[in-house]
Amino acid sequence: MSQPPLIDEELAAFLCGPVSIYVASRAAGNLPVLVRASGCRIAPDRRRATLFLARSKSESVIGAVRAARVVAAVFTLPSSHRSVQLKGTDAEVGAPAAGDFEMVARYVEAFAREIDPLGYRAEMGRALLSLDAADLVALGFTPSAAFTQTPGPGAGAPLRAAAP
Amino acid sequence: MITVDSIRDCLEGSVPATVATCAADGTPNVSQVSQVHYVDGGHVALSFQFFNKTRENVLANPRAAVAVIDPGTAAQYRLALEYLRTETEGPLFERMKAKLAGIASHSGMSGVFRLRGADVYRVLAIERLPGREIPPPVPKKSLLAALRAASERLMRCTEFGKLLDELLACLDEAFGIGHAMVLVPDGAGTRLYTVASRGYAASGVGSEIPMGCGVIGVAARERTPIRISHMTSDYAYGQAIRERAAEQGMADRLETMIPLPGLPDSRSQLAVPVSADGRLLGVLYVESAEEMRFGYDEEDALVALATQTGMVARLLQEAAESHDEPPAAAARAAPPGGAPVTIRHYAADGSVFIGDDYLIKGVAGAIFCKLLRDYAGAQRTEFTNRELRLDPTIRLPDLSDNLEARLILLARRLAERCEFLKIEKTGRGRFRLAVARPFRLVEIPA
Repeated sequence: MSQPPLIDEELAAFLCGPVSIYVASRAAGNLPVLVRASGCRIAPDRRRATLFLARSKSESVIGAVRAARVVAAVFTLPSSHRSVQLKGTDAEVGAPAAGDFEMVARYVEAFAREIDPLGYRAEMGRALLSLDAADLVALGFTPSAAFTQTPGPGAGAPLRAAAP
Repeated sequence: MITVDSIRDCLEGSVPATVATCAADGTPNVSQVSQVHYVDGGHVALSFQFFNKTRENVLANPRAAVAVIDPGTAAQYRLALEYLRTETEGPLFERMKAKLAGIASHSGMSGVFRLRGADVYRVLAIERLPGREIPPPVPKKSLLAALRAASERLMRCTEFGKLLDELLACLDEAFGIGHAMVLVPDGAGTRLYTVASRGYAASGVGSEIPMGCGVIGVAARERTPIRISHMTSDYAYGQAIRERAAEQGMADRLETMIPLPGLPDSRSQLAVPVSADGRLLGVLYVESAEEMRFGYDEEDALVALATQTGMVARLLQEAAESHDEPPAAAARAAPPGGAPVTIRHYAADGSVFIGDDYLIKGVAGAIFCKLLRDYAGAQRTEFTNRELRLDPTIRLPDLSDNLEARLILLARRLAERCEFLKIEKTGRGRFRLAVARPFRLVEIPA
C-alpha cells in the first residue's frame, strides 16, 4: 500500500493560489541557483508538482535541474506570509502541457489582484510574472519533503499531509 | 556593469527578497528573506532572524543566490553571494535592526521579526534578468542640486545658531523636508537636548532624550545614520523617555518637562550624526508622515550635509574662542523699573525657575546664574564665551564642550519663556544680557 500523497487538498489549493513562487537547484560546485516561477499545477493524485518558468530567465536553473535533478521551491502568500517549501530529487524540465499557458495567465491575474491591496501596483505583478507562450517551460517533480516556512518559531518544521 | 550601488532601490525591503543556498550534501533550500541591506559597493547584509536551514547551509557552504526586485520598475536581479561573517552589534546591526522594525510593523510582523544578526556577504556577481519592466515613478527631486544649494548656504554662515537654522531652512526649501531638528549631546554623553527645530507647533528647544533611545539616540550612540521607512512603535520616544525618567527618580523628571517635538503620525524617520574631529557634535533628525520618504540616496545626501555642518561648526567654534577679547568696559545699564521677579536656582541639578515656570537646568542653568549674579553685583551686561569657559562655578564638562550650543539653548529658552531677559550676540564669542525688569536671584544649595 502506497503512502498518502504529501500534499493534501488544502495545501494543493494553496500552492496553486496567488502565491509568490521561487524555485532553486544546485549547480556544479554546490552553487545555489534560483528563479521565479509563474504558477504551479498539481497533478490530480497530488503526487507531482509542475512549476511554470520563463526559459529566458531560467537557463541556470534548467541546466542545474538537468544535471542534478534536485529542487526546492518556496510558495508564499503575500497577504498572510504563509509560506511552504517543497523539495524533490527527481525534477525534470519539459514542454508545457495543453492548457498550461492559460493557467499561467490566470495565475498572473490572480497574483496581481493579491498584491494590489498591499500597496504594489498590479502592473508590477504582471511585469514580474507574465511570459510568452514560446518562452514557457514546465519543471515537474515529486514533492518528497514539505516544510512550513511562515516566519516565526515554527519556521522550518516538516509538514505532514492530513490523514486521508 | 551592474554594481550594488546601482540597484540600491531593490535593497529597501519594500518587495521581499528570496535566498537560495545548498547544504553540504547538495540539497538546495529556498526561503524569503526580510531584508537584503546595502553595506557598500561590494557587500550586502541579510537579516538573520531565525536559526533556519539557510543559516545552517551558509555556515557549511558559504555560497548563496539572492533574487531582488526593483519596487519601482519590477526589474529583477540575481546576486551571487559569498557569506563572510555575522555582526550582532554595532552600526550595521543597528541600522538593520531599526529598518527591520519598520518592515515588521508594515507587514504585520511586529513581535515576530527580531534581528539576531547582520549576515555580511561579498557580492560576486549581479545579473539583470530579461523581462518586462514598467516605467519608473516620476523622478525624484535632484538631490545633488539640493545638496549643492544647501552647501553654498551653509558655507556663508558665521555663527553657530544661524548655521543650525540655515541647515533646517535648507532641508525645507531645497530638499522639501519640512520637519527636522538638531540635538546635541550633553557633556556627560548620557543624553541629547534639542537646540533647533523646524516645522513643529512648539519648538521643543531644551527637550531631552536619553542616549540610545529612538532613532536619534541610537544614531548618536553608534555614530551611524539610522533610518526607518514605516511607522513603528519600537523606536517611539514617549514611553522610553518616561521610563527612563521614572528609573532615575525625581531629579530627572525635569528631562520630561519640555516635550520633544515630533510628528504624531511619523512614518519615515532618519537620524544622521554630525561629527567633527571624531567627536559627536549632534544629531540631525528628519521625519515625514509619508512612508518610504527617505531612501539610501536621501541618507547619503544628509550625511554629506551633516559632514559639512560639522566642519563649519568646528571652524566657527574655533573662531569664537580665539577672537574673543575682554569685553569693552561694561556699560552700566540703566536699572529697569517694575516689581522684581524671583528667579530660583537649585544647585542640586542646576535647574532654574522664573517665578513658578521651569526655564532650564544643568550647565545652561549654571551659565544663566553666573550672568544674573554678575549683572546684580557689578551691573555687567557684556560677556565673552572665554570667561564662561574659565569660570569655576559653571563647571563645563571639558575643554572642547560645545559652549555655543548651550548658549543657544539658553537664549532660545529665554526667547520662548521669559519676556524680560534676553541674550543677544554682539560679535564672535561675545554676547549681551538684556534685562528689562528687576529680578531677585534666590540660590538654593544642594
